[in-house]
Amino acid sequence: MADVITVTQVQLVQPVFRYLRAIPGVLLLFAIGYAGKLLEQNVGAYAKAHYWTFPNIEYVLWAILLGLAISNTVGVPEIFRSGVATYEFWLKAGIVLLGARFLLGDILKLGGVSLVLVAIEITGSLAFMTFLGRAFKLKPKLTSLLAVGSAVCGVSAIIATKGAIEADDEDSSFSIAAILALGAFALFTFPVIGHFLHLSDKAYGLWAGLGVDNTAEATAAGALYSDAAGKLAVLVKSTRNAMIGFVVLAYAIYWASKGKAQAVGNKAAFLWQKFPKFVLGFLLISVLATYKFFTKDQVGTLANLSRWAFLLTFAGVGLRTNFQEMRKQGLRPFAVGAIGEVVIAGFTLGLVYGASKIFGW
Amino acid sequence: MSADPNASGSMTAVRNGQWWKLSLDSWAVVLALLAALLVRAGVFKHIPW
Repeated sequence: MADVITVTQVQLVQPVFRYLRAIPGVLLLFAIGYAGKLLEQNVGAYAKAHYWTFPNIEYVLWAILLGLAISNTVGVPEIFRSGVATYEFWLKAGIVLLGARFLLGDILKLGGVSLVLVAIEITGSLAFMTFLGRAFKLKPKLTSLLAVGSAVCGVSAIIATKGAIEADDEDSSFSIAAILALGAFALFTFPVIGHFLHLSDKAYGLWAGLGVDNTAEATAAGALYSDAAGKLAVLVKSTRNAMIGFVVLAYAIYWASKGKAQAVGNKAAFLWQKFPKFVLGFLLISVLATYKFFTKDQVGTLANLSRWAFLLTFAGVGLRTNFQEMRKQGLRPFAVGAIGEVVIAGFTLGLVYGASKIFGW
Repeated sequence: MSADPNASGSMTAVRNGQWWKLSLDSWAVVLALLAALLVRAGVFKHIPW
């Protein structure tokens, strides 16, 4: 009897302890994000008061830069790590809440266009990365992981595919490091190129959603350009994310047919298991907003809540990016990823340019 | 960025009463919907930015 009570107590205490352990890291995310917000407000005002020419740096960039500075100098102490890892949780909660700012009609209209572009982007990226992996003589499963990571949605796609095709831990670490390093690079180059080409908010948002692989970086790259571009980047990226199940299923079937992975039993269950649930949450909130479940003020409040959630995400993007760790992962997968990403970025820019001509954006 | 390695066990976890083992994705949706309901109910009237 005593054993049963002890086991039950341990079962109850474990998850509670896990959540408590995350508190310091979440507080660190908040502190860095909020410092970024304060810097945005105060640095601009200070420069203006002293007649300095200083670019207007948004809180998004400040939060990422502060995180990067900590991660690449003193590092993130152990006590903060489990909380810092929650940045993806805040990202997904933020995307669901952002649904309040989309009317269903807009989603269907933009989602329809982006669905076509996403289908072209995924097909083109998978084909090109596979070709590149073979040309560089990478291991076939490593090539598959890099292809899925750059075509669909970064780290989660790699993790999901790794399980489905039974790839090595080493291969997935290589692919994740390459995708994260290139995501950090895209974060700083996409807005510069967008401004250089005078892209509209709509065209840039589409490009960021199509061309940047990880959802956190795509959201940040969009928000760095403008609020409207950030909104659209999230929508397009979520459309890409929704494709993850189909792509992973195709790879699982391919590798199983070669006898190098387990066969997939129930395909519908497999698709549901891999489907990103936050996309459903985003659509649900959007439907509620469309049918006036929320007042205008309440939509504003939900949008602000979403911004606070993204604030934690952007701090996390900086904190988890450690260039020294990435350098340790080797050059060849990184070179394949880099060449692939540059070509995909150019290809998606061409797609967006074509779409903007057709639709007059 | 979406799929979670723990997602497979979500439904089983709920059925077994181990609700805390829901995937990260599902928890994010639950929290966001809860926040939206609280805003709708007027518990949070205005959240500044």
